[in-house]
Amino acid sequence: MQLLEGEKEQILASVDEVLKNSSKLREDLIPTLQKVQAKLGYLPALAMEKIAEGLNVPAADVYGLVTFYNQFRLNPPGKHQVKVCLGTACYMVGGDITLESFERRMEIREGETSLDRLYSLERVACVGCCTMAPVVVVDEEVEGKVTPTRVDGIMLALQDEEKKSVTEQEPNQGRGEDS
Amino acid sequence: MSSLTPKELYNKLSQEAISHDEAHQEKTRVMVGTATCGVAAGALKIKADFIREVEAKNLQDEVDIVEVGCIGHCYAEPLAIIAKPGHPAICYGHLDDGLVHRLVEDFLAGDDPSYEYAMAALERNDVFPTFEDFPRGVYEQKLILEQCGFIDARDINSYIARDGYSALAMALEEKPGWILDEVKASNLRGRGGAGFPAGRKWEACIRSKGEEIYVICNADEGDPGAFMDRSILESDPHLVIEGMILCAFAVGARKGYLYIRAEYPRAVTHVQEAIDQARVKGLLGESILGTDFSFDLEIFQGSGAFVCGEATALVNSMEGKMGMPESRPPRLAQKGYRGKPTVLNNVKTFAYVPLIIRKGAKWFKEIGTPENPGTAVFSLVGKVVNTGLVEVPMGTTLRQLIYEVGDGLPNGKEFKAVQIGGPSGGCLPETALDVPIDFDSLQDAGAIMGSGGLVVMDEDDCMVSVARYFLEFTQHESCGKCTFCRLGTKHMLDILTGITKGEGDDETLNLLEELAEDVRDGSLCNLGRTAPNPVLTTLKYFRDEYKAHILEGRCPAKVCRDLLLYYIEPPKCSKLCNVCVGSCPTEAIFTRDDGLKEIDQEKCVKCDNCLKACPDEYNAVVKLSPPVLPSEKERKAK
Amino acid sequence: MSEYVTVKIDGQEIKAKPGEKLLWVALDNDIYIPHLCGIRSEERSNASCRLCFVEIEGIPRPVTSCTKTVEDGMVVITRSERVDRLVKTAFELILSDHNLKCRECPANRNCVLQVIAKKRKIKLRHDRFKPIAREYELDDSPAGFAFDRSRCVLCGQCIWADREEAKVGAIGFTKRGINRVVTTFKDLPLAESICTQCMLCVEACPVGALFYKKKEPHTATADKS
Ligand SMILES: Cc1cc2nc3c(=O)[nH]c(=O)nc-3n(C[C@H](O)[C@H](O)[C@H](O)COP(=O)(O)O)c2cc1C
Ligand code: SF4
Ligand code: FES
Ligand code: FES
Repeated sequence: MQLLEGEKEQILASVDEVLKNSSKLREDLIPTLQKVQAKLGYLPALAMEKIAEGLNVPAADVYGLVTFYNQFRLNPPGKHQVKVCLGTACYMVGGDITLESFERRMEIREGETSLDRLYSLERVACVGCCTMAPVVVVDEEVEGKVTPTRVDGIMLALQDEEKKSVTEQEPNQGRGEDS
Repeated sequence: MSSLTPKELYNKLSQEAISHDEAHQEKTRVMVGTATCGVAAGALKIKADFIREVEAKNLQDEVDIVEVGCIGHCYAEPLAIIAKPGHPAICYGHLDDGLVHRLVEDFLAGDDPSYEYAMAALERNDVFPTFEDFPRGVYEQKLILEQCGFIDARDINSYIARDGYSALAMALEEKPGWILDEVKASNLRGRGGAGFPAGRKWEACIRSKGEEIYVICNADEGDPGAFMDRSILESDPHLVIEGMILCAFAVGARKGYLYIRAEYPRAVTHVQEAIDQARVKGLLGESILGTDFSFDLEIFQGSGAFVCGEATALVNSMEGKMGMPESRPPRLAQKGYRGKPTVLNNVKTFAYVPLIIRKGAKWFKEIGTPENPGTAVFSLVGKVVNTGLVEVPMGTTLRQLIYEVGDGLPNGKEFKAVQIGGPSGGCLPETALDVPIDFDSLQDAGAIMGSGGLVVMDEDDCMVSVARYFLEFTQHESCGKCTFCRLGTKHMLDILTGITKGEGDDETLNLLEELAEDVRDGSLCNLGRTAPNPVLTTLKYFRDEYKAHILEGRCPAKVCRDLLLYYIEPPKCSKLCNVCVGSCPTEAIFTRDDGLKEIDQEKCVKCDNCLKACPDEYNAVVKLSPPVLPSEKERKAK
Repeated sequence: MSEYVTVKIDGQEIKAKPGEKLLWVALDNDIYIPHLCGIRSEERSNASCRLCFVEIEGIPRPVTSCTKTVEDGMVVITRSERVDRLVKTAFELILSDHNLKCRECPANRNCVLQVIAKKRKIKLRHDRFKPIAREYELDDSPAGFAFDRSRCVLCGQCIWADREEAKVGAIGFTKRGINRVVTTFKDLPLAESICTQCMLCVEACPVGALFYKKKEPHTATADKS
């Protein structure tokens, strides 16, 4: 993935700032990755490289770690993140069907981000509100009893919001398009 | 060093806390349950509604609105407790803005507690029943959940005012060995799944004679259907912290960590606040309560890998490596975090410790059964009326738990199975319902106590698909290190997926069973060793269901989508209503020339929407398994 | 403490250094136990291949011999119904994810998998488990060798050579579970990574995953680049 202008500086600055307060021990690797991801939304290769240098760990190990843990992302998340709960209770009342409906509507698969970087879709295990199963977390808001028809409703709401923000901002397409 | 004894210092803290708390209690308090479960059900909005309504009535000086944790009655969420001087504290469930408006107007502004909306009172009184008067109250006995949802998790005074940290003050006047003796005498068994005696673990650690010793709390709760640990950390964090400090004093540790799952941001916040507050009060950090004992705590956030709940994997991940389990020995008690002796216990295990120290090992042993003293905490979910957190004495039977505490199955459905212990556990049938809940009996029955997820299943649940669900989870979460788990679970999953599509024969079931046994016996860590449990137990108790899939192409519970189709029964269809047509996400339903609705099977994605949408007076949409339309059946019959 | 301990393996009395792992003691005495992942000088074995099972008197279940320290008076048998069953399944599982075109493989007749198959009389081709279908790209970017992941059995020997012998850190395990692979940072071709092409990893590979390019003498070093 090509970095856009300014992104490189932003990445370097974020990593520097996090490393400043680090013990520089390997032990600090996961907390460091977590903090950098909290700033950038994901872990670009450049950040991994710098962190590896900073903590004196082979870059291959940092890469290994990032691909091992569910929490870390190699690609920027979509502007809107939808997480479908596939915990036991949700699965039993059709969480997988809900997930499929989102895949159909967003035209991506679970774990992916749409080309326009507007949506990303993930599965999670038990959000802790099984009584409202099937549960979906849309941009940190928990939605309960999400049937495929509700999926359409949620998507329409997100699209509406997008249309509004586009007309407000005018033609500027931001860092959206993947070319 | 202080001239006061720990007890004297504690008494000062306690008096401060009590007067702080009493000042609060003169006012009316609205306590909104805002653990994750409550927030998900809209508790923050309810809190805002209360604030708005209270301000509208100009009552803000008389009413405090605070956030509390989870009281376990999750089915009634969002809920709030209103404590108004002169009235018993009362809990209201299923709140919405209308109800909030009413409560503020009638109860807070007026003086009518609106009993018609109340669930229960919190303390004995002459006017309204309490939770203990619920049928489940007879079976429940709350030890570690006792304060959850009743105290302010974000104010240490609330905990101290209820005897919190008194166990620590007591213990600091004794020798460390005294705590160990009490914990050993209590026969407290680890609540992280395996039930290993906590006292023996601590003792092994002391015997390793390390210069540095670490105490770690395992709060990686990864079972996809369990949330007890989260609830305790969010609702009563000091209980766990006090337990850890006591353990540290007993084993001689100076540093401890709470390994908390990344998906639990609220728990992280609450625990961090609790640690900070405990430090300020001199209960954590250098020279605790004026003694020369120092101990500090830090949070380590997990990064989302189920396998990191495994002890050696957890340590690896704290050391900045992949969360990969190691062969044992050496055990953590000999060589754990940073190669030093380490005590690792579950959240609940630590939570019992202050209670045991405060009330004595003898008290603890009188609860539950001799071999399994204390209580069991479950998150009760699935097809059961009262979902939520429950705490019952060990030895309670599954039947009591499901039918008395959980109030049975909803909608008059037949019980089929209960799944205990999450992905490492097993599915038990009706015949096993009288098994008492304890580590050993459950293991004998083929399930495990595990992490405390308990899922009730009814006639509409397919056992093959349930086994497949859990296996998909473990397969996805396998660390990939060892052959059996990495490849064995993959092949098991492929076979199970085939069965849900009707593929296979008797040989397939034998192969699946053999492979499951080998994965159980050959894997490196307990993830792989227990992953086959859901498959082995369903094969043992529900083999007929497997056979129906492969031999008849039929899913008896009508769940496996490749083995069923949706059909609108012409005699039942009203013709005049169009609900199903609108409900279909793929426009598969059309109106025939004769006005009846029909499903285009090519387009149908089997999402179940039309079946749910069809009004109750018609119920015209049905599922057919095996997937043969009546017309085809007739043709075949000819 | 005495200088050695005595163990009995398959009826044979053996003197061994205290602290040694059973697997190596057996192998040193010409008693064969299949193994892929064990590394002699490592104190704690990865214990990941699950091929080295044996039975030890007094222990109810078969145990991996690479993790078991010898103890005086230990009585061991290397074959039993349970051991054979576990080893067969583990071996067949590994084969289900291994490119079995032996004739095209540079390690043909020089492959540990073939040795195990022969010694334990397990067929290389079996039909218990369906082969796992995957697509891997061949990495032939280095001058002297190449890496074909379709033959990799994830034993970890190459990574150990890279870390402990060459002290480079070019390769490591990435991803989790069934997707676990040996690869470089960002999955770069080896030649574009920090790999020094010392080829110690090629020496370490027990199968044909890391292999010398054709016509290259086995003593080749990186001096060509
Ligand atoms: C795959 C796997 C996941 C585990 N997850 C947890 C967990 O989330 N929480 C926990 O306390 N123990 C978990 N355990 C058990 C721990 O390894 C360990 O036995 C436990 O934390 C010890 O604490 P206890 O003695 O208090 O039970 C897990 C074990 C395995 C094999
Ligand atoms: S059993 Fe599974 S999780 Fe445990 S070490 Fe083996 S591959 Fe990893
Ligand atoms: S299973 Fe989905 S919220 Fe618990
Ligand atoms: S050599 Fe023992 S498990 Fe691989």
